[in-house]
Amino acid sequence: MIFWEIFSYAAWALAALLLGWMLLDLIKVSKDYSEEFLLSAREGADELLQQDHAQGGKK
Amino acid sequence: MTAQDTTAQGGGGGERLYLLKVLGPVHVWALGVGIVLVGEYMGWNFSVGKGGALGSLIACWIIGLLYTCVAMIDSEVTSTVAAAGGQYAQAKHIIGPLMAFNVGLYLVMAYTMLEAADALVVGDLLVQVAAETGYAALDPKPFVVLTIAILAWLNYRGVFMTLTVNFVITAIAFIAIILLFLGLNPWNPSESLFHKQLLTDLPYGWIGVVAALQFGMWYYLGIEGTCQAAEEVRSAGRSIPLGTMSGMMTLLIAASLTWFLASGLLPWEYLGQSGVPLYDTSRMTDSNGLQVLLFIGTLFAAVASANGCINDAARAWFSMGRDRYMPIWFGAVHPKYRTPFRSIVFLIPIAVSFAFTGLLDQVITFSILSGLLGYTFMSFNVVKFRNKWPLGTIKRGYVHPFHPIPAILLLTLCSATYFATFLGYGTSLISIMIFYIVASVWFAMHRYRFVYRGDQFTMPWPRPIGH
Amino acid sequence: MQKRYQPPRQSGLGQFLDCVFLLAIVYASLLAPIVLDFGGGVNKHQVDMVQGEQVTWEALGQNEVMQAQWQKLGYDAEGAAEIITSRFDYSIDPLALVITAAVIIGYFVFILKVSAKEYRDVIRENFDTD
Repeated sequence: MIFWEIFSYAAWALAALLLGWMLLDLIKVSKDYSEEFLLSAREGADELLQQDHAQGGKK
Repeated sequence: MTAQDTTAQGGGGGERLYLLKVLGPVHVWALGVGIVLVGEYMGWNFSVGKGGALGSLIACWIIGLLYTCVAMIDSEVTSTVAAAGGQYAQAKHIIGPLMAFNVGLYLVMAYTMLEAADALVVGDLLVQVAAETGYAALDPKPFVVLTIAILAWLNYRGVFMTLTVNFVITAIAFIAIILLFLGLNPWNPSESLFHKQLLTDLPYGWIGVVAALQFGMWYYLGIEGTCQAAEEVRSAGRSIPLGTMSGMMTLLIAASLTWFLASGLLPWEYLGQSGVPLYDTSRMTDSNGLQVLLFIGTLFAAVASANGCINDAARAWFSMGRDRYMPIWFGAVHPKYRTPFRSIVFLIPIAVSFAFTGLLDQVITFSILSGLLGYTFMSFNVVKFRNKWPLGTIKRGYVHPFHPIPAILLLTLCSATYFATFLGYGTSLISIMIFYIVASVWFAMHRYRFVYRGDQFTMPWPRPIGH
Repeated sequence: MQKRYQPPRQSGLGQFLDCVFLLAIVYASLLAPIVLDFGGGVNKHQVDMVQGEQVTWEALGQNEVMQAQWQKLGYDAEGAAEIITSRFDYSIDPLALVITAAVIIGYFVFILKVSAKEYRDVIRENFDTD
């Protein structure tokens, strides 16, 4: 059946499109922003931590 | 969401990127149940093959107890260590770097391999539809790749939409099981279900029940993935225990119904090797509506599971990158979508390659065993947690009751499940253990050089007792 | 007061090679059971339930309801026989069991020991230095 063949090719094409978009965006982002900024996320950062801080938890 | 509330000022004065904090308890539920529910549509029934229908039911209850311990322990530790990476961040703070590296690997392996298996299911379902409409030669590959590509793209573009979609499709898959139950006149079971005639004695005796524990894990495997959302949930201390516990209840209901329906309509020998047991159950009802519904349910459950797996595996990989356990490159956050975008993209070809190895049995065993290793870790993790920071020394979001009984119970049940895996899958078990041993030696000798020591400890807690 | 540990910078190539190494051992462990024994890691065998050439539902121990369900699934006695007579082998090789147990326990002991050692450094650096 021709329908399933077209469907298969469409699936390949759409998958390639999505993967290509992600790859391009990934490269673009790495170019547009400094690596330091992209890697600036720190662990935790939750209001739970701030509450603990207020209680004088650390050190 | 505007740009203002998505960036936070870092302590050092410069602007910092954070994962987006937008999720509620509903998303936590969708993440946990979404990953697991596919296990009711397929996989759990291999426990019937290993121990018979009644053996599977006993295994379902025993493993239910194991996961209740897991959910209790996890809720306490995660509501306190609220960080992406979940159990990985817990291990880092409570046990130490090498354990954390291993836990991170368990998570990435368990979820990426499960994702591959889920995508294969989607491909197989389409092959089945094609065959029924008269096209026998459909190649599932493009659809497997497309499933992974669409879900990865969704994940790449933002966690809120990803898990909102997951909530909708998971809810539909769950409702499908309920409707199948209602469609079979449960108020008059002897008319439409044949438990009396189909249930046999234990075919392998009690050792079969023990052996069934291995696949009994499918009823709940992955519910602990809720912790991965910790950094993206609003008020994690409340939402994660709530989402996890309600997810566990959903699964206990779904598991009981699934067993009840399938064992009442299918001979156990067939059930024990069926690829799509719930769909097969619906085929026995003579109702086209129920068949279509369960087909959609199977499809949605597989997609929801793959989606949650991409989310969780990427969070774990990202966290390991951020701490340099893995290359730092993976520790990046997308400046616009606030997702661990590099980890998401990196894991796509890996999931696809797992799906195309043709080693589905191996891949699934690897996935289950990685989960099991993680539960074993949780049992001594919580004991150390209570010893190093006794109740009252730090603020906990939730305190689980009866400590240390859940921990001891969990360790005992894990040991029984290792034994169950040994029965029938001994070679796989050893080869997977060797993988983790080699990886550990590699980490201790080589990889740990690149890790900042003190920076790994990020919680604002007092010094642990005994250090 | 002790000095903080300063890790070396890893080159792009080093980062890439580390990923390749990890993936290589994942695939090796997936393939190992296939290469080492041909059972694919699963012990299953067929039991003799049927004597002679005629496969009947009675010989397979199936009652009428079971028979009806099998037929509804699209199986005749012959087709069902293959599924019904396939059984796991749960005979336990004590040596293999002892080795497996030793590997798992040894693994966890090793991990906990090394982790504890590394953890002491982490705590010392985090709480004792500025």
